[in-house]
Amino acid sequence: MKIKYFSWIKDITKKDNEEITNNKINDLKSLKKFLSKRYPNLHDHLIKDDILRIAINLEYISKNKKINSKDIIAIFPPVSGG
Amino acid sequence: MIKIQKKNFNLEKEINFIKKIHKNIGAVSTFIGYVRDINNNKKVTAINLEVYEEMAFKALGLISFKAKKKWNLIDTLVIHRYGKLKVNEKIVLVATFSKHRIDSMESCNYIMNYLKKDAPFWKKEYYKKNSSWI
Repeated sequence: MKIKYFSWIKDITKKDNEEITNNKINDLKSLKKFLSKRYPNLHDHLIKDDILRIAINLEYISKNKKINSKDIIAIFPPVSGG
Repeated sequence: MIKIQKKNFNLEKEINFIKKIHKNIGAVSTFIGYVRDINNNKKVTAINLEVYEEMAFKALGLISFKAKKKWNLIDTLVIHRYGKLKVNEKIVLVATFSKHRIDSMESCNYIMNYLKKDAPFWKKEYYKKNSSWI
């Protein structure tokens, strides 16, 4: 699956996207767990505060959801356009 | 119509382009957002706007679609810029076109409110010596 990072999230991940292949990741919950291990500085934002917004294939997702290897998942802070 | 672009826009030209397509427009409401020089008591010199372009098109399209269902609109126009913008530069334009004023005025406010909430854009503010995402 492809993961995209925006705003200050990419300052933590040091990249704006990456491809993750791991058959243990099958839903958002397991992805969050995986990413918070890979990027310890994301842990609190992903698990504790729950302030980040997540989109799967361009759609906002607020609850846990199954994901597959073809999905594009975007992780970003609250938006600030306009 | 949705436009996501780096370049500036000319309000009069944008409005006239749509007015030429629809001769029944009697009311146009517009909102323009600009880069302010002070934000949260900090002197801002410029901003950088990041966008998730594919999702922004989808989100803005959906907001405009909902506005068209809710009000009697002839057309809508949203232009949102990205990239580095200096103080006083235009960031966003929302324009709504209808026969009568209430439809255009209320829907313009509605689109702008949802744009602020759902459109995937992020601002990084630049100060004299540093910068920060807001």
